[in-house]
Amino acid sequence: MKKLLIICSLFLLPLSLSAQAGGGYGITLEHANNDLRDQASLQRGAVLFSNYCMACHSIKYIRYNRIARNIGWSDDEIMEKMAYGQGRVVDDVETRMLPDIAKGVFGTEPPDLSLMSRLKGEDYIYTFLRAYHETEDGTWDNTVLKGTAMPNVLEGIKRHSTEEEYEQAARDITNFLSYVGEPSKLDRLDLGWKVIAFLLLMLLLTYLLKREYWKDIKH
Amino acid sequence: MSDHNDSKLVAKNGTLLGWFDKRYPLVSTWNVHVGEYYAPKNFNFWYFFGSLALIVLVNQIVTGIWLTMSYKPSAAEAFASVEYIMRDVEWGWLIRYMHSTGASAFFLVVYLHMMRGMLYGSYKEPRELVWLIGMMLFLLLMAEAFMGYLLPWGQMSYWGAQVIISLFGAIPLIGPDLALWVRGDFVISDVTLNRFFALHVIALPLVLVVLVFMHIVALHQVGSNNPDGVEIKKYKNDRGLPMDGIPFHPYYSVKDSMGAVFFMLLFAIVMFYAPEGGGYFIEAPNFEPANPLKTPDHIAPVWYFTPFYAILRAIPDKFLGVVAMGGAIAVLFAMPWLDRCKVKSIRYRGLSFKILLTILVVSFVILGWLGTQPATPELTKLAQIFTALYFMFFLILPFTSVNEKTKPVPERVT
Amino acid sequence: MSTEEQNSTSVNLERRKVLTGATGVVGAVGATFLAVPFVSSWQPSERAKAAGAPVNADISQLQLGQMLTVAWRGKPVWVVRRTPEMLEGLAPLDGQLRDPASDESDQPEYCKNPARAVKAEYLVVVGICTHLGCAPLFRPAIGSPDIGADWQGGFFCPCHGSRFDLAGRVFQSVPAPTNLEVPPHHFITDTLIRIGEGPSEGAQA
Repeated sequence: MKKLLIICSLFLLPLSLSAQAGGGYGITLEHANNDLRDQASLQRGAVLFSNYCMACHSIKYIRYNRIARNIGWSDDEIMEKMAYGQGRVVDDVETRMLPDIAKGVFGTEPPDLSLMSRLKGEDYIYTFLRAYHETEDGTWDNTVLKGTAMPNVLEGIKRHSTEEEYEQAARDITNFLSYVGEPSKLDRLDLGWKVIAFLLLMLLLTYLLKREYWKDIKH
Repeated sequence: MSDHNDSKLVAKNGTLLGWFDKRYPLVSTWNVHVGEYYAPKNFNFWYFFGSLALIVLVNQIVTGIWLTMSYKPSAAEAFASVEYIMRDVEWGWLIRYMHSTGASAFFLVVYLHMMRGMLYGSYKEPRELVWLIGMMLFLLLMAEAFMGYLLPWGQMSYWGAQVIISLFGAIPLIGPDLALWVRGDFVISDVTLNRFFALHVIALPLVLVVLVFMHIVALHQVGSNNPDGVEIKKYKNDRGLPMDGIPFHPYYSVKDSMGAVFFMLLFAIVMFYAPEGGGYFIEAPNFEPANPLKTPDHIAPVWYFTPFYAILRAIPDKFLGVVAMGGAIAVLFAMPWLDRCKVKSIRYRGLSFKILLTILVVSFVILGWLGTQPATPELTKLAQIFTALYFMFFLILPFTSVNEKTKPVPERVT
Repeated sequence: MSTEEQNSTSVNLERRKVLTGATGVVGAVGATFLAVPFVSSWQPSERAKAAGAPVNADISQLQLGQMLTVAWRGKPVWVVRRTPEMLEGLAPLDGQLRDPASDESDQPEYCKNPARAVKAEYLVVVGICTHLGCAPLFRPAIGSPDIGADWQGGFFCPCHGSRFDLAGRVFQSVPAPTNLEVPPHHFITDTLIRIGEGPSEGAQA
């Protein structure tokens, strides 16, 4: 039994070290505290993403109809709220920026954000969105990603809303991007415990079977 | 105790089985390897990992075949095709996670399987060939995993492959040309991806399956070792069957089934609730497509390569580093001859072996951790110490094992 | 073997049978569930479904007697604007056809009418022969040396000689078993047809 525990802990060792694997940005990231099951938050996030991010960024690995199905909208609703009637509901969510414009304006190509939540983590996105500050020469910079070409898109929200609303907006965008990073995540979480329950039943049966047969063996 | 003849399969004339058995050695094969394969009755926890490795191999092959149905082995499409599997293919996410989690599970199980061999002297006469084939399997598995890791064409795929292939460049004279030949291009490119794909999905799995077959045949030729390290063939009953042996089926088939289900339970927990393995099974930088112009801040191989990677980095010379890394694996092949003690099981071996083995295991685990960390001067120093300790095991063992103060080995299994 | 041992063995056997059976059955159930992902991963993916989404055909430029081809689900879909003469020529052919009332053929309920169309003027059919999947040719001209002197215009499949009239209805004594398939479609406006979506579905969406 002791050995069993050692083996199990060996198996879980990498998981417990996860914090170390994800860190290394030089600053402490704030907790996003987003909730993938909060559909209202995802819907707000989708609208915010459309309004504040899609001018430059795409999330090209997901389609409008998939988002609609997963966050509780009809096909018509998402076309109205996210796509403003442009394109088809089966289209990938592309940026509204015309090709090659960004390079001229920002000097860099704004990255596709489909997998940003898996690349950098939810907390990173949440902190990054709120880490803009005015520099001495009157321009913006970001403490998470110094010298970023991205402007402070949430500035308007920060100015015209309460601190809670501003935080919530960043959280909703983070939540939405987290969903976009792995759209089937909730399916995975919901299926997992059923499989585990089944395997526990199977374990009980195979244990009883083993015990029954091994009654023959005298040590 | 030895009346376990009910497991022997008999092919009667006039039955379908009888018809088959006349034309194919179905029954005799079953009896030799399962029904009448007598395994020691005292297998413990450590003896689960062989059958578990087989289960993971099947998992990898089946999920791999299914992934191949949707994956595109080209630099332009590979990354997107993995996301296509994760998002668009029905249940694609599950099949992909089964494969990626399976890769890590494979190494975990194989490392523990090898550990069992070390603990109970399973590499010793008459099982040297079982060990050698097993080591070849381990080497092939590393190649298989390395090539498979390039296929998602993420940043870590790309740069990991870049680093490992550059190792060939360290070989004197032919090195640079060899690295170029392996890549088939001046950098890792579409060509490299294509050939790695071919090797990963066809060539290496074929060889793996053949070697697994040989591993089992070689084992069944000489019989299984056991935690006491005594040969059960020495004491046979009046029917010529080992007195301490029990037929594999049904006793070990039911026991291994239980082990398999328990393993699947752990596997499911990780796969469903931590498929990224905290960034060790699927590394975060791999969610960014490969970019030949931008290296990630910190390149770390997947966890199962890190002990050897740490040894590579510990040596401050490119060529010698490669030699040390290769040597760390190669020296394991020589275990049957480096260990000259007559006693097999650690239960009856002297203190010197127990201490040495502990040092080896601790060094291996610490090197594994070091391999995941950035190479700071302090950590490099640490890596050098544990690299030295790792090799010390193999250097000292031949001398200490000759005159080891062993305990008396029982005649029969306990 | 002593009697005592034999007794205990026979008691065990019953329990073993039950446990083996139970494990086998539950294991088989598990294996079946495990097979589900692998089997259903062969279904059309989300990408295939997106590519197979309804398409619009703009018919504002389509002249009388002309045909337009649009791709829907990777298949050619023909839109034919039929003249009044063409439509009048359909009914007299009924006697020569295999399925004149389209009882055996594939079409939405709202197209199961003499013209096989939503609006009689516009025929919308999938341009794939119901025999073995070749693409028939549009041959609207009356009389034809290669098809027959009594040819009233229609579709002719060059692969195996199947003939269809201008409503996509198959003639007798040709290999094709049924009429050309009419896909679900509806008119968004007078000059825009949505293919792949029936009128009721269109109203919902």
